[in-house]
Amino acid sequence: MIGILTLLLVGGFLTPLFYRRWGDRTASRLALLPALSFLLLVGMGGSMSGQGGIHLISLTWIPELNFTLSFALDGLSLLFALLITGIGAFVVWYSGAYFDGDPTGCRFVMVLMLFMASMLGVVFADHVIVLFIFWELTSFTSFLLIGHNHREEAARKAALQALLVTGAGGLFLLAGLLILARAGGSYELSSLITNTSLPAHPLFNEAIALILVGAFTKSAQVPFHFWLPNAMQAPSPASAYLHSSTMVKAGVYLLARLHPLGVESWLWSDVVAPIGALTLFTGAVMAYGQVYLKRLLAYTTVSALGGMTMLIGFGSPAAAKAAVVFLLAHALYKASLFLVAGIIDHETGEKHIDRLGGLRTLMPWTALGAGLAAVSMMGLPPTLGFLGKELLYAADRGLVYLSISVLAGMFFVYVAYRTGVRPFVGLHRVTQKPGHEAPPAMWAGPMTLGGLSILLAVFASVTGKWIVAPAAQAVLGEPTAIKLVLWHGWNRELMLSLLTLGLGVAAILLVRPVSRLFSPVSRAAVIGPDAWYRAGLKGIQQGSVGLTRILQSGYLRAYIDSIVLFILLTAGWHFLGKVPFPGFAELHAVDINDLILVSLLFVAIAGALLSRSRMAAIASLGVIGYGIALIFVLYGAPDLAMTQMVIETLTVILLVLAFYHLPKFALRSSRPARIRDFALATAVALFTGAMTYAASFGEIAPPISWFYSENSWLNAYGKNVVNVILVDFRAMDTLGEITVLTVAALGAMALLKLRIGGQKGGGS
Amino acid sequence: MNGLLIAPVLLPLLLGILSLLLWHHVRAQRVIAVAGTGLLTLLSLRLLIGIYRHGIQVVHLGNWEAPFGISLAADLLGAIMVVLASITGFAIALYSVGANERQRECFGYYPLVHILIMGVNGAFLTGDIFNLYVWFEVMLMSSFVLLALGGEKPQIEGGVKYMALNFFSSVIFLTAVGLLYGVMGTLNLADLAVKVRGTESTGMLVVIGCLFLASFGIKAAIFPLFFWLPASYHTPPPAVSGLFAGLLTKVGVYAMIRLFTLIFTPDLVHLHGLILGLAALTMVTGVLGAAAQFEFRRILSFHIVSQIGYMILGLGLFTPLALAGSIFYLMHHIIVKTNLFLIAGIVHYRFGTGELKSLGGLYKTAPWLSLLFLIPALSLAGIPPLSGFFAKLLLVMAAVDIHAWGMIATALGVSLLTLYSMTKIWNEAFWKDAPTPPPPARTDQSTILMMIPVILLATITVVIGFGAGPVFRLALAAANQLMNPSDYIHAVLGVSP
Amino acid sequence: MELLMAIVVGLLYGGGLFLMQRRNLVKFIIGLAMLSHGANLLIFTAGGLTRGAPPLIGEGETLPPALHADPLPQALILTAIVISFAVLAFALVLFLRAYQTTGTDDLDDLRSTDT
Repeated sequence: MIGILTLLLVGGFLTPLFYRRWGDRTASRLALLPALSFLLLVGMGGSMSGQGGIHLISLTWIPELNFTLSFALDGLSLLFALLITGIGAFVVWYSGAYFDGDPTGCRFVMVLMLFMASMLGVVFADHVIVLFIFWELTSFTSFLLIGHNHREEAARKAALQALLVTGAGGLFLLAGLLILARAGGSYELSSLITNTSLPAHPLFNEAIALILVGAFTKSAQVPFHFWLPNAMQAPSPASAYLHSSTMVKAGVYLLARLHPLGVESWLWSDVVAPIGALTLFTGAVMAYGQVYLKRLLAYTTVSALGGMTMLIGFGSPAAAKAAVVFLLAHALYKASLFLVAGIIDHETGEKHIDRLGGLRTLMPWTALGAGLAAVSMMGLPPTLGFLGKELLYAADRGLVYLSISVLAGMFFVYVAYRTGVRPFVGLHRVTQKPGHEAPPAMWAGPMTLGGLSILLAVFASVTGKWIVAPAAQAVLGEPTAIKLVLWHGWNRELMLSLLTLGLGVAAILLVRPVSRLFSPVSRAAVIGPDAWYRAGLKGIQQGSVGLTRILQSGYLRAYIDSIVLFILLTAGWHFLGKVPFPGFAELHAVDINDLILVSLLFVAIAGALLSRSRMAAIASLGVIGYGIALIFVLYGAPDLAMTQMVIETLTVILLVLAFYHLPKFALRSSRPARIRDFALATAVALFTGAMTYAASFGEIAPPISWFYSENSWLNAYGKNVVNVILVDFRAMDTLGEITVLTVAALGAMALLKLRIGGQKGGGS
Repeated sequence: MNGLLIAPVLLPLLLGILSLLLWHHVRAQRVIAVAGTGLLTLLSLRLLIGIYRHGIQVVHLGNWEAPFGISLAADLLGAIMVVLASITGFAIALYSVGANERQRECFGYYPLVHILIMGVNGAFLTGDIFNLYVWFEVMLMSSFVLLALGGEKPQIEGGVKYMALNFFSSVIFLTAVGLLYGVMGTLNLADLAVKVRGTESTGMLVVIGCLFLASFGIKAAIFPLFFWLPASYHTPPPAVSGLFAGLLTKVGVYAMIRLFTLIFTPDLVHLHGLILGLAALTMVTGVLGAAAQFEFRRILSFHIVSQIGYMILGLGLFTPLALAGSIFYLMHHIIVKTNLFLIAGIVHYRFGTGELKSLGGLYKTAPWLSLLFLIPALSLAGIPPLSGFFAKLLLVMAAVDIHAWGMIATALGVSLLTLYSMTKIWNEAFWKDAPTPPPPARTDQSTILMMIPVILLATITVVIGFGAGPVFRLALAAANQLMNPSDYIHAVLGVSP
Repeated sequence: MELLMAIVVGLLYGGGLFLMQRRNLVKFIIGLAMLSHGANLLIFTAGGLTRGAPPLIGEGETLPPALHADPLPQALILTAIVISFAVLAFALVLFLRAYQTTGTDDLDDLRSTDT
């Protein structure tokens, strides 16, 4: 398994190198890689059935987190892996011809190969984190492929939409998987699904619900289905591969994988099955009335995915068997039809169904491939489509589900006719390009896959034994006797099949009445999830602009307000609640010098605040500085006082020099603004004052400064303790301080001299 | 070992002085910058390896025993941060040489970069709260000058706000330090940790904790204190914004983690719930701010804010796994964010604009740059298996462990919006056709040299992603050191608490 | 005296903040300066006030007088004074340049880099 993954990953990453060497022939050679993988997988499948049907590999990764690179191969993952590599080989081959002469082909094939590896990773993974990693990679490669024609806005938008929808689902999935893993005590899917105590865990249903969201977005279930039709912006090979036969089935895969565990949850029968049925219905109805080949097919893909989801939701062995057959049938015929749509588009330049006709003479092989696939899609015997439909009816769960299934079957007949038959029969119509048969690289895929649809049905017992039974057993988590038979006799299912067919023919013939019948549903879709998505995106856009305009207003004072309020609400709040007021007992007495000094400071502060003249404000600031210096003198800090004096003098000089160049004060703020600011400033004053007071008495531990006094002379040989601290005990601070000073000087100089884009031009 | 511990501070100082002496020799300054930061990276890596093998390293400067002198103490977190700072410095030095901003280089650009790194490293290594303040100032002063250097109008306007609010933050820091000394009588972090654990009356400590939270919160740019960042980070030359984006806010985050694991622990002050709330609001307002922007570097600036939320989310959750997530996030983010700013710079140099409206067609004209953009951009959005995925995964796992559902929803939702933002840039600048008339491509300057650091950082991003195991082991070891402060205390004070 | 000092500290913080809320660059600077003064005085007060006796060791002595002012806050304040002076001086030059490049000293007009 790991060998196959590595092979495809390396092949993908080296694609540009191959292209440099082989040019447009590269794709046909690269297709051998998935083909080889397919053969290897067939071999593994053959040998596996002998040894209990499961094959595990585990490599250490992050043991501290119980992360291992563990992979498992059982019937279910084998079926998916065969589809991925088998269809993949044809699609890669096809892409070479599709992009013949187009330089973007290299990029396309590279991403396609990487997608293939990621998708295989999803179905191989046993560790949930490994699964998630590959899951996200499929989303991302899908983004790149949908946006392949990135110069078109529609393609970019569709790519973004698919990425966001599946990405959002992915995050739900991650949360769900993590909760599930935590509840189950293991990250290994193989042990989680056999954990019988897990369903009793209080978070079990929540985890399953989260995982379901992930699976539903990926598999385009209502209401997340809308991204898939839009994803048809991708080149046809990508649509055939990712958006019909493989990636969109990842959600179905996940549901099938978790089936043994999931059926224990009420969500399974009450949510999964109804959502699946709803999707089955919606997709089918919406398909009716589509006129573009690929969109038409896309809606039936949605519908088919709904069908598979519904079947898994039923939770019965019969339903599991039906789901597996349906899945296989759908993958084969839908990939074919998409590839055919790509051929038609490529060769004739037409995407509109009504402008096509009579192509069978021009492209006989393509017509044959399309016909085979269409027959299977219609559910005619002897095809897989027929088998799938019979089993679907057999897995019946009541009238509502049954009628939805029949109704969807009717539309399937219609769509199969419109896409697989209609363009090739009737009168030939003139198209944009004259149209001729595609190269074998392109029709080989539809031909083979369409042929397989019949072949696998004809040899139903072999298919049943080697493909369906192991997969269904893996879904159910227990060995079950499963046999596949093409002919059941004249039973109820056959009658229903005939009814479906009849309705389908009616739908083809009576387009107008039928479409009128279902038009409310299509019209309701206009206000459906696609519109919600757009509205949501727009809402986020506008909301964030509005919010940011309020928050990031550009007003410095608003920012300061925000900070101050934050402090008052956190620190201030705790201060009021938790800090006891120390009282006035231990106060130092106030002498007359203190009083004079403090009064002077009050006056100076008032002056600085109120003065209308710049010089007066600066003078007040100077007085504050000198006043503080005097406090330092009074309270045993002569060095500090000296420094303060010098610095204050320098500051004042600088201010005066600078203000010489600046305009006079102007009264700008409004009265309410000043009142508001004053209130805030008062609160801050009270808070800081009270804090200072509380701290000066709130000593919890005695200061460490005795050490400096004791060691200043004896060990550091200095008489001035403060100076000794600065140059010796805490010399690092002083180093930093000098650095700051130097940088400031350097910066001021540079700022004054260097003016890029200014009037004076640059420096030296 | 002692030399190695001091080197991250002293080497940049020496480089700075040397560059100052060679004022007129820009060429020589360039050589010194690249070689010096390269050497610094090697030395700091050796320091990290040494600490990983032998435990926390401490140097008492001037041989004055702790808590009386200033001690440098490097645990794993500190050493990791120093390594990241050095790598960023190295990348920026290379990039600056390539960017060739001659005028700025003549006016002390390189000395300033060295001094900035000195300040940052000092902050990461110091074991003393006031010394931390001093290093913050060294870092901030150099950043003020670097931000304004050149004197272009947006630089000056952004500079005013940057300076004003950061100065305010410093005053709050100083206030908190003053109060802390007033009640605890010591400045050494380990000594503070010991004394704080012995006290009953925690009221004042909570208040002081809030003040530190505000001060570091401004520097780390958390909600509602981040406004200086989006106002200024897009204005200086790309190399400078890359340096700032990578390092400056993370010093704030580091300081927060350090203080709120060592001193203001949850059992002592109940502020971690508040931190969680702030983390969520920071993530959301940041990412919405980014959604509202249509200029390359402005989008990225808001994303810094948003990402800071994730980093302090781990601190708020306060489990070993959560802290390991935060540390993993720091490692991932510094590399990725610096890189994105550098790439935005290359785009700016080549097309003269960062407005998404006037950009386009880069996918065609600059395919390699496109690929190099995708790596950090997807990593930032958390696409596996790149570094950002594991960073977010660890935090979400930690949140699952303690059933913090709101946090999980926020973290995941914000990561989706981040993906949206990155795709927006991708669609507009890279995928969309160039508008007509196309922006005038500047041919006077080659951006080849500037690609080297971008490639280097992108490689590191990929390595962190694919080597998530060993990187996580390192982060977890660092987190365990933080969760058990007794090792740190013992290493610094020589006694067990 | 602690009470009076605390009031002065409070006034310096409040006043500084009030000035920083003005739209005028010059007032803003003065506000910053007042705030720094406030912070220095706060450290001084919170560290404990001791009247008289500076932490100096006299001629022939090995220890400072028994009851002397705590030298550590003084050392911190000294460092802080110099640092805030450096920052303030640079801020002054920056604001001067802001006035010269934008032609306004009204902070409300300096909003172009925000939105």
